[in-house]
Amino acid sequence: MTVAAERAADVRARGLTPIWACSAVGFLLVSLAVGVLAGPVDLGVGGVLESAAARLHVPGASTPLSPTEEAILWEIRVPRVVLAALVGAMLALAGATYQGVFRNPLADPYLLGVAAGAGLGATIAIAYLPEGLRGQRALPVAAFVGGAVAVMLTYAVGRSARRERDAATLVLAGVTVAAFFTAWQTFVQQQNAETLQQVYSWILGNIPNTGWSDVVLILPYVAVATVVILALRRVVDVLSLGDDEASTLGVDVRRVRLALVVAATLGTAAAVAVSGLIGFVGIIVPHAVRLLSGVGYRALLPLSVIIGAGFLVLADVIARTALSPAEIPLGVVTAFFGAPFFALVLRTTRGGVS
Amino acid sequence: MIELRGVTVALGGRPVVDGVDAAVAEREWLALIGPNGAGKTTLLRAVAGLVPFTGSIEIGGRPIEELRRSELSRLVAVVPQEPSTPPWMTVAEYVLLGRTPHLGPLAKEGRRDREAAARAIARLDLVGYEERRLGTLSGGEKQRVVVARALAQEAQIILLDEPTAALDIGHQQQALELLDLLRGESGLTLVAAMHDLTLAAQYADRMVLLDTGKVAADGVPRDVLTETLIAGHYGASIDVVPVGGRIAIVPRRGTRDT
Amino acid sequence: MLRISALVALVAAIFAVVVAGASGGATSHQTGSQASFPVTIVASNGKVTVARKPRRIVSLSPTATESLFAIGAGVQVVAVDDQSDYPKSVPKTSLSGFTPNVEAIASYRPDLVLIAYDPKGLSDALARLGITVVHQDGAKSFKGAYQQIRQLGLVTGHESEATRLVGRMRSKIAAIVAAARRAGRGLSVYHELTPDLYSATSKTFVGKVYEALGLRNIADAADSAGFGYPQLSAEYVVSVSPDVIVLADTVCCGQKSSTVAARPGWDRISAVRTGSIVRIDDSIASRWGPRLVNFFRAMSSALARLRQ
Repeated sequence: MTVAAERAADVRARGLTPIWACSAVGFLLVSLAVGVLAGPVDLGVGGVLESAAARLHVPGASTPLSPTEEAILWEIRVPRVVLAALVGAMLALAGATYQGVFRNPLADPYLLGVAAGAGLGATIAIAYLPEGLRGQRALPVAAFVGGAVAVMLTYAVGRSARRERDAATLVLAGVTVAAFFTAWQTFVQQQNAETLQQVYSWILGNIPNTGWSDVVLILPYVAVATVVILALRRVVDVLSLGDDEASTLGVDVRRVRLALVVAATLGTAAAVAVSGLIGFVGIIVPHAVRLLSGVGYRALLPLSVIIGAGFLVLADVIARTALSPAEIPLGVVTAFFGAPFFALVLRTTRGGVS
Repeated sequence: MIELRGVTVALGGRPVVDGVDAAVAEREWLALIGPNGAGKTTLLRAVAGLVPFTGSIEIGGRPIEELRRSELSRLVAVVPQEPSTPPWMTVAEYVLLGRTPHLGPLAKEGRRDREAAARAIARLDLVGYEERRLGTLSGGEKQRVVVARALAQEAQIILLDEPTAALDIGHQQQALELLDLLRGESGLTLVAAMHDLTLAAQYADRMVLLDTGKVAADGVPRDVLTETLIAGHYGASIDVVPVGGRIAIVPRRGTRDT
Repeated sequence: MLRISALVALVAAIFAVVVAGASGGATSHQTGSQASFPVTIVASNGKVTVARKPRRIVSLSPTATESLFAIGAGVQVVAVDDQSDYPKSVPKTSLSGFTPNVEAIASYRPDLVLIAYDPKGLSDALARLGITVVHQDGAKSFKGAYQQIRQLGLVTGHESEATRLVGRMRSKIAAIVAAARRAGRGLSVYHELTPDLYSATSKTFVGKVYEALGLRNIADAADSAGFGYPQLSAEYVVSVSPDVIVLADTVCCGQKSSTVAARPGWDRISAVRTGSIVRIDDSIASRWGPRLVNFFRAMSSALARLRQ
């Protein structure tokens, strides 16, 4: 029995090792620091630290910043960094989840039609909302509802299919629904061509300057989605064997897939609602982590959360400082990194990345 | 142990498995044979609860429709014809996946689970392979890993679909000897779809010959592997040759007009 | 003697022709009379000759629509596009200036079509149907805007009204600028096109209004690429603290003083604190027609209030 017990110690699944966890968290902390310090207005490391200390009511600390600088730091910059982190974490996690659930290395968070649905919702809001409501928060709500409806429709179409109701069917349903919603969105946009600039701007994706209100708005969705998905992360590794084998290993594939997809979708819809369609994060980050570490989903999912957050914070820093004081749409920055990265992924993953 | 009565599986409107009656006793090795498309894989999938069927399938006296997924997978392990072996997974992780039926969706593997996996790894002669990635293994090694996973599952019944299809003769023999040994040690019941009739005859206790979804013959190898039955269902002409208490099937070449 | 005076007359004539040609090509065979057709102008689509006084004008340019009605050519207009909304009585249709349908336009049997934007070979297609098209791109300067009005006067047979309108515009604007320039000196302005902080620099038409009033445009620093419409970062706007904010997104996006003041960090901005937030109707801010004067007036009142 002792021999078996000894050998049992060698039998381990690679979870989130301390090395990886520390590196990832370190990366995130550095990104956050860069995010908070970078901007058209130079606040200085000391200034930021003292201001933070004063906020935390550290005895004796007082802020050296002027009221305007305080406002810039705490009402514009810090919430923007936090929002970028939340959105980046969610998109990366959703992308990794879909890659695992659908066994498709090119899956991204928008796979099941969330992007097309949110785009339609946003376009309709921009084009048709009565003037009084337009300035308010109706846009994120419309985008969120649009995204959620699209995914529900995808599920409905998938279930009505006569072929086997497996992962591939769902993806095809997603493609169908996305095509339909995109066509509709393009039509509405063209009918109201004067809104073109606004719609396009939203679709390109950006982290808005809405202060803490957007952070508060999406935090519950992102938190719940993250908790649910991370709780189920071991099962995602089982799913990577395919529906049949996962079933024979006792997993209720449909139910687990539904739970994961719902969680990932809700989180993605919330992120999209405030930030538009930021592409590539959901693909680059999981693949980068996988390329570097080769781990399964048990570790990949939590790592994607942390590194996705850091990645988008840094991308947003570039978006707002490269042509300072002008801004580049964030979707352009991520695409800039995404395209060559894709090429790299295609070159290096030969044996199939599941 | 396993009882099938009037099992019919219809795919795309056609009955792929048609009114099959069969029974497998505990600790028995049943070979499922038949020409391509006879329905062997589908029948195994029905027993594994992967396809809907009409009729009754009972395991240990309980109808499988009444069993939850996790219960069924604690009773039945499946070694598929083309198992999915993610190249990035390590052997340890893969074998540990066999413990999934014993964990809930949120649970983590405990000591018991790791010991079961370690035992399976030892049995399959894979000690030292734990950290190797599946993508770096040979065909034979992968086969052993898959069987190890099934073993770690600690299910009483193992269904195998063409377990030796991709192996050379040496590895074929190795795999089947091992299965037989494990059967004896752990009291397993094996149901294997096999295309190699001689190997099936050498190892199986009983055979069921399927053709177009129906049971054409059911009995000990000697009774099922007859020239008439093989000619009738496979369209092949063979000779049955007794070898070491069992039989071997040798294809007979027709006379040629040179 | 004769040869010298003839030479002088010849040089003067050449000079007059050259000057007339250089001023953008608003020539006519007879000047100063109402019925002076055929007339040739040089528009964005090159030389256009209008043979007869048009009776069925279709305008797909909201700016041209405003100008037409301001010079008295309104009675000759049979249809305007879906974005033309001033004056209130225009014959608005569902024709689109952005996604035009050639057949739909032709169904009005126009003898002159005015466009500001030429997508997918629209002007060629109309030309093939024998319809005269005048394409007047967005003006880049006030001079360009005035010239477009004069051209419209020429091609519709309202040359003198057009000239008078331009004259009135010029003098009103000059008066406003003279008075407001002192008020505006040293002040900075932020022109907002959209709530996600797209702005317009001094290179743009609307930017020239601010330039004329002596205001400093904060978007200039953000436009290294030089294409005129950069997106600004909120931090920058807050830190620069413009003295005047002009909202050109009141209609499309419901922006007003209260929404601007509610933006995080914006309550520190000078313009917000002094209440110098000017709401300009989106259409006034994006057109280059007769209501340019209204824009100037709105700005001058804002600046006057500021100085109090």
